[in-house]
Amino acid sequence: MIRLDLSTPLGITIALLPEILLSFWALIVLLVVSWRHETAEDSRLAGWLSLAGVLISGAGLATLWINGASPDGLAQMVALDGFRYGMSAIVLLSTAGTILLSLGYLERERLLAPEYYALVLLAAAGMLFLAGAEDLIVLFLGLEVMSVAVYVLAGFDRRNVFSSEAALKYFLIGAFASGFLLYGIALVYGTTGTTNLSLIGAQLAGRPLPLMAALGLGLLLIGFGFKVAAVPFHMWSPDVYDGAPTPVTAFMATGVKAAAFAALVRTLLEAFPGAGDLWQPVVAAMAIASMVVGNLVALAQRSLKRMLAYSSIGHAGYLLVAVWPGSQAGAGAVLLYLLAYGLTTLATFGFLGSLGRGGERDVTLDDLSGLATSRPLFAFGLTVCMLSLLGFPGTFGFIGKWYILSAVVAEGQMILPVLLVLTSVVSAGYYLPVIMAMYMKPAPARTSHDGVRLPAGAAAAIALSVAAVLLFGFWPARMLDLAGRSGETLTQTAMPFAGP
Amino acid sequence: MTQFLDSIGYGQWILHALILLPLLGVVPVLLGPESAAKRTALAVTILEFVISAGLWWELDPSRGAFQLLSNTPWIPNWGISYRVGIDGISLFMVLLTTALMPLSVLGSWNYITRQERGFYALMLALLTGLVGVFIALDMFVFYIFFEVMLIPMYFIIGIWGGANRLYAAIKFFIYTMAGSLLMLVAIVAMVWQIQAVTGYLSFSYDHLLQNAGALGGSAPWLFAAFAIAFAIKVPIFPFHTWLPDAHVEAPTAGSVLLAGVMLKIGTYGFLRFAIPFFPQVALSPEVSRLMVILAVIGIIYGALVAMVQPDIKKLVAYSSVSHLGFVMLGIWGGTLQSVQGSLVVMISHGISTGALFLLIGMLYERRHTRLIADYGGIARVVPLFSLVLTVVALSSIGLPGLNGFVGEFLVLLGSFAAYPWATGVATTGVIFAAAYLLWALQRMIFNRLDNPENERLADLTRREVAVMLPLLVGIVWLGLYPAPVLRRMEAATERYLEVVRPHLTTPVNRVRLGATPEVGP
Repeated sequence: MIRLDLSTPLGITIALLPEILLSFWALIVLLVVSWRHETAEDSRLAGWLSLAGVLISGAGLATLWINGASPDGLAQMVALDGFRYGMSAIVLLSTAGTILLSLGYLERERLLAPEYYALVLLAAAGMLFLAGAEDLIVLFLGLEVMSVAVYVLAGFDRRNVFSSEAALKYFLIGAFASGFLLYGIALVYGTTGTTNLSLIGAQLAGRPLPLMAALGLGLLLIGFGFKVAAVPFHMWSPDVYDGAPTPVTAFMATGVKAAAFAALVRTLLEAFPGAGDLWQPVVAAMAIASMVVGNLVALAQRSLKRMLAYSSIGHAGYLLVAVWPGSQAGAGAVLLYLLAYGLTTLATFGFLGSLGRGGERDVTLDDLSGLATSRPLFAFGLTVCMLSLLGFPGTFGFIGKWYILSAVVAEGQMILPVLLVLTSVVSAGYYLPVIMAMYMKPAPARTSHDGVRLPAGAAAAIALSVAAVLLFGFWPARMLDLAGRSGETLTQTAMPFAGP
Repeated sequence: MTQFLDSIGYGQWILHALILLPLLGVVPVLLGPESAAKRTALAVTILEFVISAGLWWELDPSRGAFQLLSNTPWIPNWGISYRVGIDGISLFMVLLTTALMPLSVLGSWNYITRQERGFYALMLALLTGLVGVFIALDMFVFYIFFEVMLIPMYFIIGIWGGANRLYAAIKFFIYTMAGSLLMLVAIVAMVWQIQAVTGYLSFSYDHLLQNAGALGGSAPWLFAAFAIAFAIKVPIFPFHTWLPDAHVEAPTAGSVLLAGVMLKIGTYGFLRFAIPFFPQVALSPEVSRLMVILAVIGIIYGALVAMVQPDIKKLVAYSSVSHLGFVMLGIWGGTLQSVQGSLVVMISHGISTGALFLLIGMLYERRHTRLIADYGGIARVVPLFSLVLTVVALSSIGLPGLNGFVGEFLVLLGSFAAYPWATGVATTGVIFAAAYLLWALQRMIFNRLDNPENERLADLTRREVAVMLPLLVGIVWLGLYPAPVLRRMEAATERYLEVVRPHLTTPVNRVRLGATPEVGP
């Protein structure tokens, strides 16, 4: 246990160790690639360098986490609790995975601009800030740093019109969402005179929410709704997910989503714990709409990437179900589910990325036909991923869903869990055909899968993810405990101020 | 025998070994050469059966409680443990599973011609799942086995099935999953509600059973979730529509295990979980009436639809709906006879229907058609096959002296007092069963031999005789001398009835019924 006084420069520096290390390293990468940005060799160098940066930042994070760093007094600007550390770990995992997936992908698609990796690191730094923000201003800054980098990444395949479309769409909608968020922050600040989440919570405690703060809360929810792609704010996500380069899609589905959910949970639980009557129905409505729309529309998709985009909307719905109780168990469930979903999704997009052959746009179910015969391990891995996304026992995805169910059922709520499982059944309708195509349909030609190559880096990332999905599916005890403990830290720091 | 079993510490390891052995068997099957896969699988399944057979002696028939209990913490902070145990009810489910498995493997010998390693590995994985379902005493563990079992069966249907296999596989999967996920919500809700009352978070079956009375107003909903999950699995009319597709499209081994074992998970689930947890709901007059009506509809409807099937496999599939209706009727009959009768129907249906599917598979291997109209008069060409088919069909019909009779007779006898009308109607199901099976027999093996393609059919080979012989022994033994089986179930059934008896509404059940009736000579 170390206690950090966040009002001193040293204290805040230590508290921000992972963020500072990562930002610093992003600048180094930017510097290196400014004179080495020509060949595939350079791109690879930047990639491995970035990976090293993620590891260094991870070491910083581990230092804080293992020593149980906590604030001495009020957490100003940045949180120091298990929830932040857990979320940061998910973000860093997602970043590392994205980098590994990108190594081979960029070469194959001839996207040899190594600035890509610097952008990934900058986006990750933004995510870390977002996940750890204890202050609405920090939250907004983190969100913007992340978003701007990801806008560029989405359009990184400049010659591809769909990629450009994705970037433009993402940018316009994202800017719009930021506007909502900022307006919400302004209104909340106007009511309470502070931007610190715990202090807002203390200010608002014990009295009905003033209208202005309620409006602010609504605008914040809309802003977050856009960022996590919850229905009805999801319109952009299928096109963006589909058009962006596949590793970037993986990054958006895992990292961006995790960071946005972290900020959402923290904001709701720390700043508006007493306003559950107001936000719980909204969250429930968004959850139900996301689960239903995401899963139903995914059924109708031909392109796998688009299907996963809609399924990702469905998963945002499941996560919102976990947010709904506004409890520490719910926060733990969000954490665990994001980890499970993140690992699985990374591996899934890794597989998808290796299926597309240079410049070809859509990977459809037919492209998977008979894959099990020619690529048995590939097929097995993708099967595990599909089952995990489906929430099937024996995989980490099941543990995640089960935790969400427990957290919600413990509050005596039954409608959300029942809808969650029913929409999960619907999702079997599009996850199973993937397995079916690989195992139960013949390959169109003997050579049809010869182009499927998994570069070493991607293969390693995928293999580790799949192994983790299975391992934690069978031995979830420690992960559950960790997520539970991390969730519990969330409002502890705010407690002393929460009184009337 | 018991001394020998004690000397090797049988009771300590047997349940774990039953779960682990098939899983370990998957490794040599997958890594070995393609041609050796079936032999390895056969060896593993026979070994599994041999070690499971010791349970027959190991279990103390006078005790109704769970035996050979073991408890290893798995997710301690959530009250989840790997808890296993066995009683007189699950004993026979386990033995049925381990006995049918080697026969299914042997029955697939020539039927499965491609990707053999995958097939036999999945069969072994399925064996683990099936055994696990019957011995799990932790709701979380039970749920996992209940679900995980779907995967091997899904692949077995989807890869090695008939022409319409993809549709059948996904329908089977989604139906079962829909029910079981609702059950998952119910399990979680139940655990949390009981935790709120007792302050103790545990998924243990015994803990939940003892405190289920505290559930109060939510019990009807929880029961509904459990009941739908198991009703789909049984399947009870109107949840049966996945069954004909899955049974017909599955390869022989898949059909045998589906009908022989997997359907019983539904009825077992009612007996073990749904009813004992919520007896006040399950045995309330309204629910009882509904379930008995559905059971009788299943009996009659299954039989009538079976009668008009042109495809012999589909005929047998629908006959399962009918037979399982008897099981449901017996469970709600609520007397010692009727419940024991249900258990015996579960066993004998597993044997008879398994045997029928195996025989149909043998015929299909020869002629590649299952249409009844394509056969006729083959008794002259394949006398041995026809003899076996006739015996098995008669046992399925319920001819006295063969296994089918014992169970159905006990069910009808035991249920009559509580539901005279329903039982009366159900009795006609036995007549219909004779009608559809005998009529099919007549069209297939008797009549005139008018199709020249049937003239050169080969009779049963030695391997096929080896497959059928154990089943025939079971058919005759259970028909003539079921007493040892009934004796072993009695204490556990009695214990089940003690839990539910206070909630039974029909007058006759208040009377303590006598010991097991003697059936057969």
